[in-house]
Amino acid sequence: MQELWQALVQAVQLIARLDSEVVEISLRSLYVSAASIVIAALFCVPIGGLIHFHEFKGKKVLINVIQTFYSIPTVVVGLFVFLFISRAGPLGGLELLFTPGAIIIGQVILILPILTGMTISALNGVDKSIKDTALSMGATGTQAIWTIISEARFAVVGALILGFGRAISEVGAALMLGGNIRGYTRVLTTAISLETQRGDLVLSLALGIILIGIAMVVSVIMNVLLQRY
Amino acid sequence: MKTLLIRSIRHISLLVLLVSLLLSAALPGCTPAATPAVTDSKPAAPQPIPVVAGIPRFKIATTTSLYDTGLWNYLEPMFEKKANVRLDIVYAGTGVALEYGRRGDVDALVVHDPEAEAKFIAEGYGINKRSFAFNHFLIAGPASDPAGIKGLTPDQAFKKIYEGGVADPSKVKFISRGDNSGTHSKEKLIWQSAGYKYEDVRKSGSWYVETGKGMGPCLLMANEQQAYVLADISTFLAFKAKVTIVPLVDQGALFLNVYDVMAINPEKIKTAKMLPTANAFINWLMSDEVQDVIATYGVAEYGRPLFSPLKGGGCTEPGCPKLEDYTTPVK
Amino acid sequence: MTILRTVNLEQRAGSISLLRNINLEVKRGEVFVIIGPTGAGKTTLLRLLDLLDTPCAGDIYFDGRKITGPAVNVMEARRSLAMVFQKPVVFNSTVYDNIAYPLKVRGVNNSVIRSRVEELLDTCGLSGFAKRRARTLSGGEAQRVALARAVISSPAILFMDEPTANLDTASVKAIEDLLADFNRRNNLTVILTTHDLQQGQRLAQRAGVLMQGELVQAGTPQEIFRSPGDIRIARFVGMKNILRGIVARQGSGMAAIEVKGRVIEAVSELPAGTAVDIYIRPEEIVLSLQGLQGSARNKLAATVMSVSLDGPLCTVVLDGGYTGAPEGTPLRLEALVTAISAGELALRPGQQIYATIKATAVKVLPAPHSAD
Repeated sequence: MQELWQALVQAVQLIARLDSEVVEISLRSLYVSAASIVIAALFCVPIGGLIHFHEFKGKKVLINVIQTFYSIPTVVVGLFVFLFISRAGPLGGLELLFTPGAIIIGQVILILPILTGMTISALNGVDKSIKDTALSMGATGTQAIWTIISEARFAVVGALILGFGRAISEVGAALMLGGNIRGYTRVLTTAISLETQRGDLVLSLALGIILIGIAMVVSVIMNVLLQRY
Repeated sequence: MKTLLIRSIRHISLLVLLVSLLLSAALPGCTPAATPAVTDSKPAAPQPIPVVAGIPRFKIATTTSLYDTGLWNYLEPMFEKKANVRLDIVYAGTGVALEYGRRGDVDALVVHDPEAEAKFIAEGYGINKRSFAFNHFLIAGPASDPAGIKGLTPDQAFKKIYEGGVADPSKVKFISRGDNSGTHSKEKLIWQSAGYKYEDVRKSGSWYVETGKGMGPCLLMANEQQAYVLADISTFLAFKAKVTIVPLVDQGALFLNVYDVMAINPEKIKTAKMLPTANAFINWLMSDEVQDVIATYGVAEYGRPLFSPLKGGGCTEPGCPKLEDYTTPVK
Repeated sequence: MTILRTVNLEQRAGSISLLRNINLEVKRGEVFVIIGPTGAGKTTLLRLLDLLDTPCAGDIYFDGRKITGPAVNVMEARRSLAMVFQKPVVFNSTVYDNIAYPLKVRGVNNSVIRSRVEELLDTCGLSGFAKRRARTLSGGEAQRVALARAVISSPAILFMDEPTANLDTASVKAIEDLLADFNRRNNLTVILTTHDLQQGQRLAQRAGVLMQGELVQAGTPQEIFRSPGDIRIARFVGMKNILRGIVARQGSGMAAIEVKGRVIEAVSELPAGTAVDIYIRPEEIVLSLQGLQGSARNKLAATVMSVSLDGPLCTVVLDGGYTGAPEGTPLRLEALVTAISAGELALRPGQQIYATIKATAVKVLPAPHSAD
């Protein structure tokens, strides 16, 4: 129990003196996760919209599959991507393994199901009369879709925050795809895993506290932005 | 209204941009050298050199136990400056490290499993193998030594542990790496020497615990369970302050642990392009500069070095590498 | 002159028929009210007219051009139409953004939008509401926003689906005044549905009755309320006195109809022997203590059964007795008089009274072959 207190103290110290390596890996965690969210959102929100707004055979099955993949284990995703981008794999020529880009790829794949599925849920939550009103007011089909997405924006941003949380807290794929290389692919979660392995539990907890702090700040910022618009 | 989501995305993108700008500004080590970086081991290590675009990346895979000692935090900046490359070090159990080598995901390997290495080279994946350091394994266990192994030879000790564990798993337990690492291979070798089939050992009872974890976590677990564990001395010393188990057997030819380096063969792996750098790396590890670092690494912290250099003929027992293996430069 | 016309419009949901044989015509600048009971298909019809749904069969012509069918640019037509729904629907943003929406999606210049929105905020009594979040408004306020939003793009036709059904009386009046205002000032055609007969009578220049998916009657409100096309419509538009009888004598446009043993004279060409339904509006029965002098052809003696006051009016149920064949129910009539008259006559149950009904006030329709 005293480890927890020590960890809190150490976390504050690390932040206060802006320890260069902690700052570096924190920024990298942020950058990688933010990039993952942006890329995934660019895919998932339109695709979620497409799925929601069209009726087709097997739609329910597709949504079920998407929801099943919410709980895909991160090591499985890591392994899957590893096999693709390893030099021995089909995309080996891109030399992506053990780079921050590889981590981003892994995280994007990880959060694709969540973002898509929750976008669909968010859109479901919008009353059908919104669509009728938009069309009746002269919106084109595309404009109506954007209006509906805008109506669902709170729920969609909630999905983005959730996706960001899953990305920034994820270890398995980041370790396997990034290699935890000091100064290049080390992020908060892989650093925590290393320090745990080396027995420095207090430092692990301290880094964990910093990670939660970052996640909280991001969530607050996103909510504030949402309120203002 | 419909542009609201676009605006949110724009803001997030701005955030990402801002963050990446900060990141690229933060990367050159901006604290004074006096303050040690947090993820280094306890002796203050030099800061990593700044990133400059265009410098090639040289990747090596090493074992977890070697990585955990923190020796690389010293060696890495030294080599980067010398060879003007970015040295990327990934760590894993020996088995996985070799797999990285087979796949061409790294350019060189630093491991310590002679049998696996021999196979690797025979398959054509590895070339230019040299040795550069050594230390010993030891068996650590509870101070009370319930199996009575103190002072025995490695295989004798293992026999006692086996018998004691089968008889009473609550008193005698053994924690195994169980992950095809160098340590694990050594463990299997000793079981073989003691006259046991490894598969029989695995199935013989609850006294034998396979963890699949790294060396440090295994030591911690052995500490928790007051069990016996085979460890390399460097990791043990690094964890000594955190555990109550003590070294009980540390003599014997079977315990010799030699650290080797080899390059990935570009003839076998077409994507391997860093052979000249790999060769320079291998030669550098054998150089006086590195051998001197190895000779003193850990003294300040633990009172004795974690490794022994091979230079100067420090390794004299049977199984030590031949002179040419640790001195002949690679062309 | 005709701005909207439908030809044999039909709609189905699976195998269930929702609308059949809908043929209506609405003139430019008219307020056309579609009245009908709940479930008649009013919303379904309006959704077809606003091009939100496609009909199974039939066509719609807007300003002479066909707007149904595969080759049609629905977008273009829809941009001349607008609809206000029963439940006030507002987007989750400010009142300003809501009202500006139709102009935004048409790519109109921002300064133009600003002045139009301010103009409408003023007209609809929403000055100062611009920055309010639309979802925080009351039902009446939200519906006014919806109305402003619907008219800002100057549509040719405004559809309104039971727009005041969920609102309080003050809001109902506000909405009705606004749409009358827009109709007058901008010659805006309004097609409105309601199940509230009074509202229909107040607002309509022309009306149509929709029952069970069919447009059973169309015409001025006068025609519909006074001369309903059949017994269903009569019941719906609040005819109280519907009696079955048979034409006893026919003489140059005047029929003597035998109803429950009494003879009632009515204007009708139907020949003797025809089974008929007669309809008398309650307010057309004049009560007096003595039989009135004058040209009214029907003077019936009756007994007052009940007297119920309802504000300024009074409903009186009369029993006209029975003088027909042994089995049968007595002649029951419901009259509507002013409370003042009731007072003057000192109406009370059991009282003997005279009911006078003009022959022109008795509507006659042939009875359908099957029982109603």
